[in-house]
Amino acid sequence: MVDKELLVKTAKKIVSREDVKYVVGYKQGTYGFVISPSFAYTPEDVDNFIYNPLCKKNLTVYPILEEKLPLRREEEEDKRKIGIVVKGCDSRALVQIIQEKGLTREDLVIIGIPCKGVIDLKKIEKRFPNQTEAVNVVETDNAEYILNISGAVQHIPKEELLSEVCKSCEYPNPTIYDFLIGEKIEVGEVPEYSGLKNLDETPLEDRWAYWEKHFQNCIRCYACREACPLCYCKTCMADMLEPQWIRRSVNLSENTAWNIMRAFHLAGRCISCGECESVCPVNIPLMELNKKLEKDVKEMFKYNAGLDTKEKTLFGTFNPDDPEEFIM
Amino acid sequence: MENLVIQTEKLSEWVNEVIKKNKVFAPVKETDFSNFKIIDDYSEIDFTYLLPRVPAKKILFKQTETLFLFTPGSKGSVQTKEISDEKLVVFSLRTCDAKTFSILDPVFLGDYADPFYKSRRERSILIGLSCNKPNVNCFCTSFGDSPASSDYVDILLTDLDGKHLVEVVTERGKKFIDNYKKFFTSASKEDLDSKKKVEEQAIKGITRTMKLEGIPEKLDKMFEHPIWYENAMKCIGCGTCTFVCPTCHCFDMQDESTLREGARVRVWDYCMNPEYTHHASGHNPRPARMNRVRNRIFHKFNYYPINDNIVGCTGCGRCIDYCSVNIDVIDIINKIGEAES
Repeated sequence: MVDKELLVKTAKKIVSREDVKYVVGYKQGTYGFVISPSFAYTPEDVDNFIYNPLCKKNLTVYPILEEKLPLRREEEEDKRKIGIVVKGCDSRALVQIIQEKGLTREDLVIIGIPCKGVIDLKKIEKRFPNQTEAVNVVETDNAEYILNISGAVQHIPKEELLSEVCKSCEYPNPTIYDFLIGEKIEVGEVPEYSGLKNLDETPLEDRWAYWEKHFQNCIRCYACREACPLCYCKTCMADMLEPQWIRRSVNLSENTAWNIMRAFHLAGRCISCGECESVCPVNIPLMELNKKLEKDVKEMFKYNAGLDTKEKTLFGTFNPDDPEEFIM
Repeated sequence: MENLVIQTEKLSEWVNEVIKKNKVFAPVKETDFSNFKIIDDYSEIDFTYLLPRVPAKKILFKQTETLFLFTPGSKGSVQTKEISDEKLVVFSLRTCDAKTFSILDPVFLGDYADPFYKSRRERSILIGLSCNKPNVNCFCTSFGDSPASSDYVDILLTDLDGKHLVEVVTERGKKFIDNYKKFFTSASKEDLDSKKKVEEQAIKGITRTMKLEGIPEKLDKMFEHPIWYENAMKCIGCGTCTFVCPTCHCFDMQDESTLREGARVRVWDYCMNPEYTHHASGHNPRPARMNRVRNRIFHKFNYYPINDNIVGCTGCGRCIDYCSVNIDVIDIINKIGEAES
């Protein structure tokens, strides 16, 4: 269990610093199991910070979303740092972005939390629909979640609610941080991600039918893109008009183009937080695409994204021995 | 107008009969949710989910509409697009989705009628289905509506366990139902009483309330309130809230062509996207997320009530359900109600 007091104390200390603009963490949402990002500008604002297994959101999207509006005359740019609460996967996103020079290490104050895995909101909401009252969830040492729903205490095996991506997590501990809340977690044997059969094993026609069914439902809201900390291109290729790589028409062909291009742009960069998949309003299993690419990159280039800021990005390196069988 | 009853086991026969002469849209199961699709048989309908994921607006106001076709180049030409005269039936509409059309009518049938929407509106029959078990974020009652309201449909069905009450509401609905008389019998007073009970039960299931009193006027004085900044900080700027909204109706038009053929298409657009207001000059009148988050709320709860005398929200709760950062329209409006302006 994460020591909430230590988290709050640390965040307060950070937000009190003169060189810090705000700290972003988690707070209770407005209903049920929902958690909201929380922006603390003062130590008092930190009082509503929480951390529990429902805190799935990858907050590292926020330093990237920082708006740089044109300054008024005599107005100076606010160059203060941003404090941020990260789990293992989230921290890898920061490392990856720093490697790509999308963010500067010095602009961040990072509160790291060793993470035992987070709950899939869709799973818990399916199990307890119509939960209006806020619910706190506690994880026990013997792989159970305890939640109190309208006075009835529920014990649920962790396996049943855990997010799929967490089941194959290799990096529960933050790979970059200034403050660590709690002890590092020992990483045991990591099971291979199980969701790849629709890309690797089944016959081609079945695979195509599977993805066609999902891509047909895509409404092109680009939630997957906006929620992804690594989708931060200044102009996304999907928004370009001249040339228009992807048409605005929402149909199977264009939806497929979008979803496949999105996945490919994350090859060697995706850090498996699962954010794209969990925000998708039409349940497209985007992590299957991402994981397939992650697996290929790992096998062919022995590369894992987001581990060390000193390391170069996969696409920023060249080795004469790089495999090239896949180049047509 | 007329109250009838159909035995639930006859429902499939009736709907299959309707399918023969109409294009019928109904909720069909996808992966763990349902969506409105054209059905060929009653068995395809999935009643498990209260609301289809994408609202019924997509049937009359399609996400992608081809306006006309053209051949590009100096010898090019334009081919108008024929509007079909197929009869449409939207089956299993909930109050919040049915109300959509009374909110979209002022836009698409107002000063300038949109021929595509108008045609579909005129040739569609709306068959409602009363909710028996509302979702966590349902709040149609906050607008004075009911989960078993017959106000916005041609025909309303209510599941009375074993049989369905069929309330024929409009003239159009009556004409339609007269084609299928053999499936129905007259409703008794008990049937109507049972419906009331179902309705009361459903209303009890709605736990969240949006307090709307005085909101449109109050918003006039709250254009610069901190609440917009608070919510904009969280907003990631995706289009989910607008695309799953039954009343959001903004669109973009684009020419999509190859060397030989082209089409002008109209697609849903979303005001959460900076590009939405990006001028050709490079200027953007809504440069910050705060401007965009504020606009979504103002459009529904200030501009709409003032211009068309109706709130631009039906209380379906989808924007709350699918927002990944908990931007909660009920919470925002209630906070505005409590705030000092």
